[in-house]
Amino acid sequence: MKYIFYFLLVFAWPLSLLADRAVNNTQMQVNTVISGSDSLKTIAINNLIISEKTEVYPLLSAINDKKLFMHNNILVTLGEKKTSDEGPEKFKILQVYPEFKELFSADGNTLLLPLSELKEIEFSRSTRLLLAPIIPYLNLLSPEVEKRKLAYSQFQGLKDKAILPKLYSALAQEKNKEIQRLGKETIFSIQLNSAPEATHKMWIDSLALNWGPNTQSILEQYASSQTNGDLRAMAVLKAEELQSKHERLRMFQNLFSGLSLGSILIMIALGLSIVYGLAGVINMAHGEFLMIGAYTTYCIQSIMSPASDLFFWISLPLSFIVAGFWGFVIERLIIRHLYSRPLESMLATWGVGLVLVQIARSLFGDLTAVRTPAVLSGGWEVVQHLVLPYNRLFIIFLSTFMITVTYLVLYRSRLGLQIRAVTQNRRMSSCLGIETNKLDAMTFFLGSGLAGLAGAAMTLIGNVVPDMGQTYIVDSFLVVVTGGVGNIAGSIVSGFGIGFLFKILESFFQAVYGKVLILTLIILFLQYKPKGLFPDKGRIGED
Amino acid sequence: MKKYLTSDSLFYIILITIFLIVLPLGNILGFVSNNTISLWGRYFCFAIAALGIDLIWGYTGVLSMCQAFFFCLGGYSIAMHMLLSASGKGVYSAAIPDFMVWNQVDTLPFFWEPFHSFGLSLLLALALPATFAFLFGFFVFRSRIKGVYFAIITQALALAVWLIFLRNETMLGGTNGLTDFKSLLGFELSSPGTKLGLYLIAFLTLCGTFLFCRWLVNSKFGKVLVGILDSESRLSFTAYNVVNYKVAVFVIAAILAAIGGVLYAPQTGIITPGRMDVKASVEMVMWVALGGRGRLKGAIIGALLVNYLYSVCTSLFPESWLYILGILFILTVLFFEKGFWGLIEMLEAKLTGWSSAKGSESLKANI
Amino acid sequence: MLNVKNLNVAFGGVKALDLHDFSVDMNELRVIIGPNGAGKSTFLDILCGKTQADDGEVIFDGNHILGKKEVDIANLGIARKFQKPSIFGSLTVYDNMLLAARMPKGIFKSMFFKMSSEIKDRIYQVARMVRLDIHLSKLAGNLSHGQKQWLEIAIVMLQDPKLLLIDEPAAGMSDEETYRTGELLTDLAKHHCVIVIEHDMSFVEQIANRLVSVLVRGKLLMEGSFAEVRNDQRVIDCYLGRTNTQLE
Repeated sequence: MKYIFYFLLVFAWPLSLLADRAVNNTQMQVNTVISGSDSLKTIAINNLIISEKTEVYPLLSAINDKKLFMHNNILVTLGEKKTSDEGPEKFKILQVYPEFKELFSADGNTLLLPLSELKEIEFSRSTRLLLAPIIPYLNLLSPEVEKRKLAYSQFQGLKDKAILPKLYSALAQEKNKEIQRLGKETIFSIQLNSAPEATHKMWIDSLALNWGPNTQSILEQYASSQTNGDLRAMAVLKAEELQSKHERLRMFQNLFSGLSLGSILIMIALGLSIVYGLAGVINMAHGEFLMIGAYTTYCIQSIMSPASDLFFWISLPLSFIVAGFWGFVIERLIIRHLYSRPLESMLATWGVGLVLVQIARSLFGDLTAVRTPAVLSGGWEVVQHLVLPYNRLFIIFLSTFMITVTYLVLYRSRLGLQIRAVTQNRRMSSCLGIETNKLDAMTFFLGSGLAGLAGAAMTLIGNVVPDMGQTYIVDSFLVVVTGGVGNIAGSIVSGFGIGFLFKILESFFQAVYGKVLILTLIILFLQYKPKGLFPDKGRIGED
Repeated sequence: MKKYLTSDSLFYIILITIFLIVLPLGNILGFVSNNTISLWGRYFCFAIAALGIDLIWGYTGVLSMCQAFFFCLGGYSIAMHMLLSASGKGVYSAAIPDFMVWNQVDTLPFFWEPFHSFGLSLLLALALPATFAFLFGFFVFRSRIKGVYFAIITQALALAVWLIFLRNETMLGGTNGLTDFKSLLGFELSSPGTKLGLYLIAFLTLCGTFLFCRWLVNSKFGKVLVGILDSESRLSFTAYNVVNYKVAVFVIAAILAAIGGVLYAPQTGIITPGRMDVKASVEMVMWVALGGRGRLKGAIIGALLVNYLYSVCTSLFPESWLYILGILFILTVLFFEKGFWGLIEMLEAKLTGWSSAKGSESLKANI
Repeated sequence: MLNVKNLNVAFGGVKALDLHDFSVDMNELRVIIGPNGAGKSTFLDILCGKTQADDGEVIFDGNHILGKKEVDIANLGIARKFQKPSIFGSLTVYDNMLLAARMPKGIFKSMFFKMSSEIKDRIYQVARMVRLDIHLSKLAGNLSHGQKQWLEIAIVMLQDPKLLLIDEPAAGMSDEETYRTGELLTDLAKHHCVIVIEHDMSFVEQIANRLVSVLVRGKLLMEGSFAEVRNDQRVIDCYLGRTNTQLE
């Protein structure tokens, strides 16, 4: 149904327009621009400019950019470029007149065409020069976000009221929230500079309320040149208010980033910590299980219909199972022979990691990416200037979920009781009839599965690459070490601690020095608590 | 029963004939390419570092995963000297290294100053890693961080310093590292004579460090190291200050790695942060594991063999190198705990019918 | 020689040790007995610096030893033999003893150590005492369990300590070995102060020349001669499992 509707829209629209005489006049001019002789073209373009009809601006803008094309009798211009591995570059196609909008192909997907399938309508240089005086206005309606941003910012702080109507009419068509705010800011700033002083209070208020990206500096500039003491004080006050608000928000943003980083570290450290507690093995290939989870997600995306986001939700449990299975196999084949040799098992698992990374590289190449499901793209705008991306929120949610499930498994299930028993005293547990062999395998399944799940989540915030597991792995090791041997609560506390600390330090220093500082702090911390936050106490725990 | 040809003496004979006589002579006569010479010269550097790893990991049982960092400290020190001594001869004829010109730096950073002098550079190349290892080791060992914890902390250290060296503003060449060395002490690095000379120096240094390590492990100090591996607590209850011994062996290993680095940089002509990341450090440990830990000859054989294998494999089947390394490594850890040298010893024991210490004595105690 | 006052140790809220008053004299051999979990090994752990006490005072030979490190305590002249033999398995018996022998133990002293006939004689002498003189070149890891126990006793003796802490020396030994161990300990006690933990009552009877202390759940139940202890109703109760848990 939808497609038929679009179809009708595209082809029926010009017909309905014919009825309208005024538009008809514009339509005639447009026709001349496309097919008339050079001199007629010039006249028609001039007429269009003088008429100040904003609906032709996209068309004029396309002429100016030398990007006006004819496709199926529709005037179009180029949108965003999509590069693919094979074939020529393709572009999104935007209709410029009579309405400015994106075009879709017959099956409802975004229309992507290479340049070769488009017929360019060419104009002489002198014709294009006619457009020069109105280029800034044209850019206000450009298909490119960055151009529109630039156009609005260029008008900021002018003292000329004359452009206001154009700004108002362009802003009325603006759909991007961020640019809307910028546009309002521009308009208010012009008003503030050109309107009578009596209204300044109102404009200052509006500016502060709208709170665009440059509001603070606009107000500060205004204050510095304003002679009226009251108004100056007001502008200064508002600017300061915005400043402190901004700082508070940035602080909040930092905390959020810390929470998000901490969640990632904990997601990885959970599995690591369980396995280490039980078997005394630091699994250096743990990051590779994360990678396996991510590639599972990638594979499912490739298999399933590209139109649906269902793949992501299916791959969450599947990545757990697939990574868990790999962990299980590797435990049975290799790691179980190394339980009494923790250092050797570190090296052997490093070897496992090498092989796994190379397998991934041979199968999938160097760089792939997973599409973010529509539900998780964008962000939650809590207040102005504070957007919490949905993908980060989801990761925080997922890690909370993983912590809860792990807690329930460890402390509320029979399996967990056995795991804790073996963690405390392997030999005694085996005397009590716990099949430690089976338990080791299951724990490895659980630990690797958790890493796989984390990997699926990581596709939301980064590319899927063979060595993606190594990005966070050393930090996760540190989390486990700081938290204490096989102690889930310790890992959680130290995970969030390190996450927050890192983000806070990062806002003062550069990321690298933040990392160095964290390492130093951890070493100092271990001076006082050599066995981590929550050490095992007692005679059995030692040696 | 005295044997005349043990694997031991065979080891020395083969090593010395090949590397001190056959290769250099072949090079002079034109059979062996300069490339091969400097390739093996580099492997000797790795072997020197491997000796250090064997001391700390093979004998003492402390797994350090930041030895590549010490290796690079040595390499960078000498590289800085070589760059400075060639100053003015670069592309820009500036008094500072070329990469600084690219980074819009016009005065030499203060910490580069000491590296004008060769002697001071050499001293710093060894003193820097030694001091670093001493301080780091002291704090870490003092708080009784050991085993897996120590491995992880050193790994984090390797990561941190790698990130620092990657930065452009630390004035160490960033990702590209230091390269384009011209000469060392007036010898043109590109000339075949210098290459052969460096090769011989590397080999002799390897011999020297080997003898030093052998003396060390045969002394009572070496027995204490093995004691740490066996039972650290027994050692402290026997009035040995284990922390001091661990710090000492960590420092010695760091110095050995740095010696390797010093000889490495002039032979390769480049030193980059890629040489010091976590991966590089773990690979160094792998050499020792593959060659045979707890045996000095094993460390040397391992370093030479793995690197030789690497150069062969990457040219024959480049894709498969990581598979080979990974699988070799897993197999070694699983089935050949004593590595390649252990295998040779075992074969020797089987061939000659000589039984090991275990077999030769009665198992039953007769009290 | 050794005075312990108000010593307190707790593991995660559980009181492991609560000793009000305990002392051992010069050249005394003191046996500590008690059921499992009574805190016997923990007590020795504290005396040798392996475990830190929460509270209290321990004076050995005029020195406060709580809070000191193992090495410093060992240098004061306290040597410990563990319940599970703790020796250097991949060194020879001779090297084990060499490492233990009394001498300066700094790094450089070890590097440039030259064997002296004095030390050699001492090692052979002790080796003969523990009957390991014919196994000196054997790897310690390949010794039998009883021999390992003796090797550890030899290690402890070679340190020339003033106080020896011996944890279950007879565990895993044959009757003959046990008896021989008893003789060895009695011999040692002529010149040293010795504390022995033991379960084997016949062995205790053999070596207990003066006092036997009974520890129960961290507390000192009683002290007395072997005969007194054996006939004490409370001691019999707790060994038969009729502890006064219900009463408390």
